[in-house]
Amino acid sequence: MEILKCEGVKKVYGSGSNQVVALNGIDLSVSKGEFVAIMGASGSGKSTLLHILGSVDKPTEGKVTIDGTDLSQLNQTQAAIFRRRKVGLVYQFYNLIPTLTVQKNILMPLALDKKKPNQEYFDKVVGALGISDRLQALPNQLSGGQQQRAAIARSLIYRPALLLADEPTGNLDQRNSKEIMDMLKLSNRNLEQTIILITHDEKVALEAERIITVEDGKIISDERREVKSLSSNG
Amino acid sequence: MWKDYLSGYLKNNRASGLSVRLSAFIAALLLSLLCGLFYNAWKYEVERIVLEEGGWQSRMTGELGQADIENVRNYAAVQDVVVTGNAVTDGAAGHNGGAAELSVDLYFDDMRAVFSDTPRIAEMVGISQDKITYHYSLLAMYLIRDEKDPAPRMVFPLFILITALASFSLVVILHNAFAVSMSARMHQFGIFSSIGATPRQIRTCLLQEAVVLCAAPVLAGNLLGIAGSTGVVALSNILLGNDIPGRHKSIPGYHPMVLIATLLITVITIWISAWLPAGKLSRLTPLEAIKNTGELQLKRKRNSRLLAWLFGVEGELAGNALKAQRKALWTASLSLTLAFMAFTIMQCFFSLSGISTRETYFEKYQSVWDIMATVKDADVDAFHMAETVQGLSGVESAIVYQKAMAKRIVTEEEMSEEMKSFGGFSHASNQYVTEADDGFVVSAPVVILDDNSFITYCDQIGITPRLDGAVILNQIRDVTNPDFRHPELMPYLREDSAGSVSLLGHSGGDVPPHAGHQAGGEEATAEIPVLSYTEEVPPLREEYATLDYYELVHFMPVSLWKEMKDRIGGAEEDTYICVRGRDSVTLEELTALQDEIQRLVGGGYAVECENRIQKQETNDKQIQGMKAVFGGFCALLAVIGIGNVFSNTLGFVRQRKREFARYMSVGLTPREIRKMFCLEMLVIAGRPIIITIPLAVAAVGCMLKMSYVAAGEFLAEAPLVPVAFFMAAILASVALAYYLAWRNVRGISLAEVLRDDTMM
Repeated sequence: MEILKCEGVKKVYGSGSNQVVALNGIDLSVSKGEFVAIMGASGSGKSTLLHILGSVDKPTEGKVTIDGTDLSQLNQTQAAIFRRRKVGLVYQFYNLIPTLTVQKNILMPLALDKKKPNQEYFDKVVGALGISDRLQALPNQLSGGQQQRAAIARSLIYRPALLLADEPTGNLDQRNSKEIMDMLKLSNRNLEQTIILITHDEKVALEAERIITVEDGKIISDERREVKSLSSNG
Repeated sequence: MWKDYLSGYLKNNRASGLSVRLSAFIAALLLSLLCGLFYNAWKYEVERIVLEEGGWQSRMTGELGQADIENVRNYAAVQDVVVTGNAVTDGAAGHNGGAAELSVDLYFDDMRAVFSDTPRIAEMVGISQDKITYHYSLLAMYLIRDEKDPAPRMVFPLFILITALASFSLVVILHNAFAVSMSARMHQFGIFSSIGATPRQIRTCLLQEAVVLCAAPVLAGNLLGIAGSTGVVALSNILLGNDIPGRHKSIPGYHPMVLIATLLITVITIWISAWLPAGKLSRLTPLEAIKNTGELQLKRKRNSRLLAWLFGVEGELAGNALKAQRKALWTASLSLTLAFMAFTIMQCFFSLSGISTRETYFEKYQSVWDIMATVKDADVDAFHMAETVQGLSGVESAIVYQKAMAKRIVTEEEMSEEMKSFGGFSHASNQYVTEADDGFVVSAPVVILDDNSFITYCDQIGITPRLDGAVILNQIRDVTNPDFRHPELMPYLREDSAGSVSLLGHSGGDVPPHAGHQAGGEEATAEIPVLSYTEEVPPLREEYATLDYYELVHFMPVSLWKEMKDRIGGAEEDTYICVRGRDSVTLEELTALQDEIQRLVGGGYAVECENRIQKQETNDKQIQGMKAVFGGFCALLAVIGIGNVFSNTLGFVRQRKREFARYMSVGLTPREIRKMFCLEMLVIAGRPIIITIPLAVAAVGCMLKMSYVAAGEFLAEAPLVPVAFFMAAILASVALAYYLAWRNVRGISLAEVLRDDTMM
């Protein structure tokens, strides 16, 4: 079942001599439950693509459809509600609200909709991410790895159609990086969560079942591969 | 959730809300003060109208009988009826019983019924509609207007205009304080937006924050404003209450509706101020917001050449930091500059005004009067108490006089050579001088002195005392020289001018061109012998030829005036008594003498008295009071700026730490960073001074030019101390803000700061 479809997506910044083409005709289709890594060097356009997929930015040309919703048709408010319910975003620098506890940070998307959390699901997510005992702490009282887990928990709390992760391990040491990747894989497998991961690190990309390489705003390769199981991975 | 976010943020970022709280407090204080003062001014005006004109709302005049009046009294909407005029007798002929010409004042239960019910009542008792008078001035004070009222009632429009201007000015200042506080968290709102917060939710959160931040300051500001308005009214009573003749004492008051209106105006002002940046921030895309790290950045390359040249690299860095913070410090720059400029110019103005008043008034008239009594509606020839006043113990001299206005002809031959030298009447405006066949018609004010004083005046100028002629003040200033403070005086008429003068009656209207020494048409003239042409004036508290430089003043004794007054006319309504006490008289002695004159003259006349020492003290108190009020406003304005500086320095600690860490990572020492910080402080505190000084010098230069006060004279009394004190207060406050901020940022751990990404 196709959950994401990009058709001829183009993104241009600036104008005249300052014009920069960040994306140049991206066509992409992702099915439900896929774990996709988008790779590319710095400035290749991968982050721009992620922002467009997350309805944080709009393409200059082309069409993006996620779970049946055409993102180009959404106004600012509709885009916000779409992000809240359909997309989970995980950033390299966590982007947690510093004045709220970890628990409140995680529950924020639900709170914005004035919804009560499903306690069982919440416990499952925080338990799986290993932060059950840190829920009442403030973000600055956590390590980088723990902050990223909290960010992942927040992105999963609404059971989004798509989880977009932008260099989620870019700010972490090797041990924490591995743990975060395991968490993502776990959610992909156990929750059937569709994940698109942006990275420039080939080793991280190899954890995904599909690797798309972007260069100069274009997809230059799209390969599917067998992935090692979690247990064999440690 | 928003509640948790807000409480968490406000708890951990008290400093960043300081500017908002302070600005809201001052806005509420100013608006409450304004509304409270307006209410008291309105109340005072209503009381004055009721005292002077009565509290009636409409008045009917006509022939009314007792039964008619009873009918009016029993009319449902009428609260009270006051009848004035001749007594009413029953049983005689008339409209309804014994009728007489009466004036009936109506008071309604509901004032708004006045325009609808008065005509009905008049019809009921048979009074013509044109015999109805409405008390428009009083009704207008309650916003009850009628299209037939021709007068522009400006009290409420003026209040609305002033309040709107005040609100607008406060929005300009306040919205920046909100913008700084809100923009500091742009990154956080980017995170909210990225996880699905709608623009409306973000806007609501920011406005809720504004409510939380401003609720207490608004209430406190309002309460203090009420107290302030009461204090100002009480102060006005102290300063003016007993010294201005005819002024009634104002009783400070307040009304719950004023509080509601003030709160409403304050809330609207603050709401607009918060809405503007909140709306802007909520419209940012999450990408724009999330990319914002809150760091202060320059939009384009700007050089701080002067600071770099003076202080090296630290100067350049400080200059760039200030430019990056320019928007955040806009409120501070504006309010500190305006406050300092207003304070300096106000102080200079009052100093100059003080010098001018002292020279032109108190010093000039120091020796001519101690007590001035105005005898209302009295003619000098009918006033018989001159000798009684002159005989009072402690009175050196008492001149009883009245002023009248006549005209006379001045011929070409009569004009002095000196006057001709500056062009004679060629510079005169038609308003004051008109050309006639045989010369120029000029104003001839007549000062009628009691006979004793006129005889003394004759002695003073060295002529044989006589009571059958006038003395002419033969003096004119060079009208081509606008320096009124140092006029070049010269003879008006030739010394050998005629031995008599024809004064033209003022009341007869315009003088016909053929008018001469003989009566012409309906114009009455009076032929008066001239005793002398002199340049000396009797010791009166009067100024001559101030507006009309060409007027020719005539002094005459009251016994002569008695014979001439029917032909000259034009006398003013009141008579004056100019009393001089002994030398070095004290205030207590003058007050006692004033009371005695008041008691003696007040028995037969309405009299108002004032004394020189009291007037000078009142004048000083008024100036001090005005200085205190204006100074208070300047200080409040400065407090907004200081609040913004505190908020900026204490609210951007994280960003400054990052900035300094970067500098340190390339080798700047803490000492150099402290120098940079000090330079920033000096620029913020010094800018208002640097901007103000040339402008104040220019403003003072203009004022000196207009007032013809010598620069040296002003410099000797220039308000250096208060201005220096205000300057030092600004400097100390800004220095304190930077010192507290420095304490927060100085302990920089390079690794930690450069790594840290949270906003705590």
